[in-house]
Amino acid sequence: MCASVKYNIRGPALIPRMKTKHRIYYITLFSIVLLGLIATGMFQFWPHSIESSSDWNVEKRSVRDVPVVRLPADSPIPERGDLSCRMHTCFDVYRCGFNPKNKIKVYIYSLKKYVDDFGVPVSNTISREYNELLMAISDSDYYTDDINRACLFVPSIDVLNQNTLRIKETAQALAQLSRWDRGTNHLLFNMLPGGPPDYNTALDVPRDRALLAGGGFSTWTYRQGYDVSIPVYSPLSAEVDLPEKGPGPRRYFLLSSQMAVHPEYREDLEAIQAKHGESVLVLDKCTNLSEGVLSVRKRCREHQVYDYPQVLQEATFCVVLRGARLGQAVLSDVLRAGCVPVVIADSYILPFSEVLDWKRASVVVPEEKMSDVYSILQSIPQRQIEEMQRQARWFWEAYFQSIKAIALATLQIINDRIYPYAALSYEEWNDPPNVKWGSVSNPLFLPLIPPQSQGFTAIVLTYDRVESLFRVITEVSKVPSLSKLLVVWNNQNKNPPEDSLWPKIRVPLKVVRTAENKLSNRFFPYDEIETEAVLAIDDDIIMLTSDELQFGYEVWREFPDRLVGYPGRLHLWDHEMSKWKYESEWTNEVSMVLTGAAFYHKYFNYLYTYKMPGDIKNWVDAHMNCEDIAMNFLVANVTGKAVIKVTPRKKFKCPECTAIDGLSLDQTHMVERSECINKFASVFGTMPLKVVEHRADPVLYKDDFPEKLKSFPNIGSL
Amino acid sequence: MQSWRRKALWLALLASWLLVLLRVFPLLRLAVPARPWAGAPQGWPRWLDAELLQSFSRAGELPEDDPQPPHAPRGGGHCDWGACFNVSKCRGGGLKVFVSPVAGPISDTQRGILASIESSSYHSVSPDEACLLLLLGPEAPAGECSPVPQQWNGGKNQLVLSLHPALCPQTFPPGQAMVAKASPAVDTFRPGFDVALPLLPEAHPLRGGAPGQLRQHSPHPGVPLLALAEERGGWRVAGADSPACPWDGRCEQNRGPEQTPLGATLPNATFCIIPGHRPEALHFFQALQAGCIPVLLSPRWELPFSEVIDWTKAAIVADKRLPFQVLAALQEMPPTRVLALRQQTQFLWDAYFSSVEKVIHTTLEIIQDRIFGASAHPSLLWNSPPGALLALPTFSTSPSDFPFYHLQRGSRPVGGFSALIWVGAPGQPPLKLIQAVAGSQHCAQILVLWSSEKPLPPRWPKTTVPLTVLAGQRKVSDRFFPHRAISTDAILSLDAHSSLTTSEVDFAFGVWQSFPERMVGFLTWSHFWDEAQGGWGYTAERANEFSMVLTSAAFYHRYYHTLFTHSLPKVLRTLADEAPTCVDVLMNFLVAAVTKLPPIKVPYGKQHPEARPPLVRIQAPGASEQQPPAQDCINQMAAEFGYMPLVSSRLRLDPVLFKDPVSVLRKKYRSLEKP
Repeated sequence: MCASVKYNIRGPALIPRMKTKHRIYYITLFSIVLLGLIATGMFQFWPHSIESSSDWNVEKRSVRDVPVVRLPADSPIPERGDLSCRMHTCFDVYRCGFNPKNKIKVYIYSLKKYVDDFGVPVSNTISREYNELLMAISDSDYYTDDINRACLFVPSIDVLNQNTLRIKETAQALAQLSRWDRGTNHLLFNMLPGGPPDYNTALDVPRDRALLAGGGFSTWTYRQGYDVSIPVYSPLSAEVDLPEKGPGPRRYFLLSSQMAVHPEYREDLEAIQAKHGESVLVLDKCTNLSEGVLSVRKRCREHQVYDYPQVLQEATFCVVLRGARLGQAVLSDVLRAGCVPVVIADSYILPFSEVLDWKRASVVVPEEKMSDVYSILQSIPQRQIEEMQRQARWFWEAYFQSIKAIALATLQIINDRIYPYAALSYEEWNDPPNVKWGSVSNPLFLPLIPPQSQGFTAIVLTYDRVESLFRVITEVSKVPSLSKLLVVWNNQNKNPPEDSLWPKIRVPLKVVRTAENKLSNRFFPYDEIETEAVLAIDDDIIMLTSDELQFGYEVWREFPDRLVGYPGRLHLWDHEMSKWKYESEWTNEVSMVLTGAAFYHKYFNYLYTYKMPGDIKNWVDAHMNCEDIAMNFLVANVTGKAVIKVTPRKKFKCPECTAIDGLSLDQTHMVERSECINKFASVFGTMPLKVVEHRADPVLYKDDFPEKLKSFPNIGSL
Repeated sequence: MQSWRRKALWLALLASWLLVLLRVFPLLRLAVPARPWAGAPQGWPRWLDAELLQSFSRAGELPEDDPQPPHAPRGGGHCDWGACFNVSKCRGGGLKVFVSPVAGPISDTQRGILASIESSSYHSVSPDEACLLLLLGPEAPAGECSPVPQQWNGGKNQLVLSLHPALCPQTFPPGQAMVAKASPAVDTFRPGFDVALPLLPEAHPLRGGAPGQLRQHSPHPGVPLLALAEERGGWRVAGADSPACPWDGRCEQNRGPEQTPLGATLPNATFCIIPGHRPEALHFFQALQAGCIPVLLSPRWELPFSEVIDWTKAAIVADKRLPFQVLAALQEMPPTRVLALRQQTQFLWDAYFSSVEKVIHTTLEIIQDRIFGASAHPSLLWNSPPGALLALPTFSTSPSDFPFYHLQRGSRPVGGFSALIWVGAPGQPPLKLIQAVAGSQHCAQILVLWSSEKPLPPRWPKTTVPLTVLAGQRKVSDRFFPHRAISTDAILSLDAHSSLTTSEVDFAFGVWQSFPERMVGFLTWSHFWDEAQGGWGYTAERANEFSMVLTSAAFYHRYYHTLFTHSLPKVLRTLADEAPTCVDVLMNFLVAAVTKLPPIKVPYGKQHPEARPPLVRIQAPGASEQQPPAQDCINQMAAEFGYMPLVSSRLRLDPVLFKDPVSVLRKKYRSLEKP
């Protein structure tokens, strides 16, 4: 664009010259236009011809056209899998290096076709699922195309199903990968391991140190903390449309839908059915299906034909029985149907068991106990069953439903091991979205009463009311547990008074000057705050007695995770206007305390400054109002608890000042405050404030008891 | 005309050049780096024939796996729960443990283990009814390595327990026996079968135990970021500014001057870096107690109770090969995470590690959970306060049924309250009380627990809520039995002579709903340390603080009945039966031990004459000699608990407008203010 502008500027100088030679001019002009068009056309196709290996070209390739690699019969074979491998012994973590995003980088080898000396292919080049899996990795944040930056390598050699490959030759193919290095940091995906007759529970291909994401591990082959146990993908997940069915009692209590069940187990199942009748359904293969009907999608019981997987939705519990292999694709179908899997496969390592809590979604029954299955299941309370049904469905949605979900969960697990400090938590892995949304994890969950000796830091926000400020300082300094006083000087146009003019008090007094006159300066986590307890106090709150403040601190110690304040306020739902309303009248309830005088944990300063949702912080600073309501919302939202109002109601008004409470009476002020509540509720997406009917008083408050024996006698005086 | 044409031509020229430049420009830019199209990595190709690819499993194959017969558990030292443990022996009654007699001299630790099992509900006196045989492993350094014990039976249903790592090598293969030992090596540990124990220091308390050291939630400013475990047992503190490779001895020259002496006290830092070899397991234990977040560098031992404890919530397991990365991660860790990790260390310490008894009970609880299968503790119960030992799965497996997890689950206590009125010896039907309680809109049912020898009165007052009379067993502990008839989460426990107004009940119930895990009561006692007697005492005198509320008028969660009956040692319940005043103390001990918080007091309208001192309840004058002095039961309980769980409070929760100078008509609970 720059160049064209320059050209334009030069333009006028050219025109007069051309005027004289019209003909030449036209010819030149047309030739230039023509040239331009030709050039344009040429550039359009140029990149294609110069970049032979780029994706432009690859896009149009077919799987059949991939390069062929001939494996000599004597090419090296990797060692067998090393059973003692752990992340810190067999995994080269240096490749993963420092990474601000805490994400591993995954490289995928390009697809090749491997043939032996006689030109016979080693395996199917690639299956539909493995292609999907590699595509999912390549589309994810983990992917890198730079082999030198990669921390994890995924061969494009498809080993999902051991039956479709030649073991020795596949191993040779692995060994000749450019970064193989004994399989270090290589990840293989396998869903159907082993083969007849003994069906090993892990892939038989020698793979040395390579990590194996396998379906159907047993405790004997699974290297805890190294391998990843993955599900066997069920093709029905994509083929069949099965709308979700909510939890609750269903027609059959127990269902067995597998076709290839060993006769001995089938006998057991039939026995259960005979004993419990209608509530148990044991299905089998259909023998008399007409032509053209997919036998995979039908199940039979005597002459009754059932649709599969739809029939799974009719059952509360579904048997997932070990076949020749431990991992069964039926597990995926069962979860999808919201049927609680009853896993009968001794020593089976359930999919993603490193992170998923299968106790919440399944029942594991030892093979030996198969005949007791019914009574075991019946002992589970109905509520728990519904919880398990919900959990089962959620597991399928999150980790089973597609090849992509399986691939990403596998990489996330490996990622969590390499960057443990950024790992997903148990809740993030296991809680269904509705639980995640409804639950609160209190940041100060440990029941703890902080020692009194710690004291509190008073933070006074002031602008220019020096006289009133000094009175507040003098009053507050009388409180025994005060350990430091911090004055936040919010006036940029005026210097704070000279040091000598400040009241002399027994605790350190620090003045912090702010860069801008913002209300949120009051809640900044200043380094000067050394105590956990913070008392936020306005520069005009002089009516609180020392007893009241000290008692407030004592109350905070018993409720360190709450806002403990003096003047209380309430939010109400206005049915006429269909919105929230702010209330400062004498009510029987409170849901907020004003931070003009309130104790709270200093952690909330950090939250207010750095973690306030949405634009609330800027909104408060712009409107110069409602910082206290914002704080009430924040604390209630993060702790799920109500405020504690301390001591009786007082007139919070000082003789010489007109702010806060003077304003509170103002009608426009009330409207503005109501607006704040509505605004914040919409930003938080919920109304976090909790309404309570109680306040905290000293044990003997207004009791018939000698005043001088009371710890806090001077409370509630006006 | 010409000018128009010229202009048009001019425009055409311009346009053509523009086109050329636009095409050339990006090409020029791309010509500079070696790789073309650097911004977008070339992903996995989109094959033209992707749709035609075959599935990895041919349609028939997947479900049509060859069936295979059941197989016997494979040998070769491999054991897992399904194969090597016979659950059928544990049918009914859950886990019953028989301790195999120890050959030779018995060590102090072993004696402690024996005692803690005997006092627990797992204990069984005969090997025949037990489903788990417990074998104490070699402990004492001098003790000879024990031979294969009797009743070995290949180790089936046996647990070999050794709190300290065996000094003599394992003399017999564990075979089918589960091994519970301190910090087992990851290579030999059989997950889901063996149990990993913490490595306890020599003088670990048997019972109770010191609480965690954390006295405040957030790290104190100025506390160093890191402490490093020294090889010889001490800790070295490193400032936040110290160089990035403070371990491995690779940066020997940078050693800070601050070095705590050998075997010194617990570290005072935010993170404690602990190398992975085994002796460091003791460091791990110290860090946990100190509330110093353990950062384990490639540990080669299994973390204690890793089967149930989610260590990612309390510790960081990092790779020792990435020191820079680990250090950077620690320095940049958000305060929220630091806060959570620190608190979790303390919770875990208090719940499972602070005494030998807790370690043993946790071990057995893990095994019991395996037996229970689907009705075991959910993970939430293990990993959040008050911990699995205090949240019994026999009560419920749904966290929302307990009073502790409402926040995490976003749930609320269910229903109103059940008034449970205990009628003792005088046998007077509490008619007035029933009327007052039934008047509350939240009252769901009234249960009268008739423990008097007098016959039941023929008629009960008509109430709007169902009234049920239960025949009591004339034992005081009976009033805290988890009666099946109780249908609500909240219980209002009352004595026949209690007197409450409807308004008081309503307000107190509202308060309880805010604090469902605590006791909310009207009358209070406080405990104190009696210097003269050298013991604890308690008093009913009105004071500025209190630590107990009387169960003759108190709200609490019905779960505490289950806990009282099924988890308290029998000794304590017997104590309470013998001296009825003690039952209040005991209930308060129990709730305080679970919540670590004081009870809550609500206002009590008039000063009732019944507000008696605690000693009045001992009625029979002649009996007082046989009975232990009631004051002493607090000391016996403190001894049995191993510490003093009671916590004092200095506040009372009143209605918001309580005695405020405002019109009485505005007040919801105005009757509470009547003199």
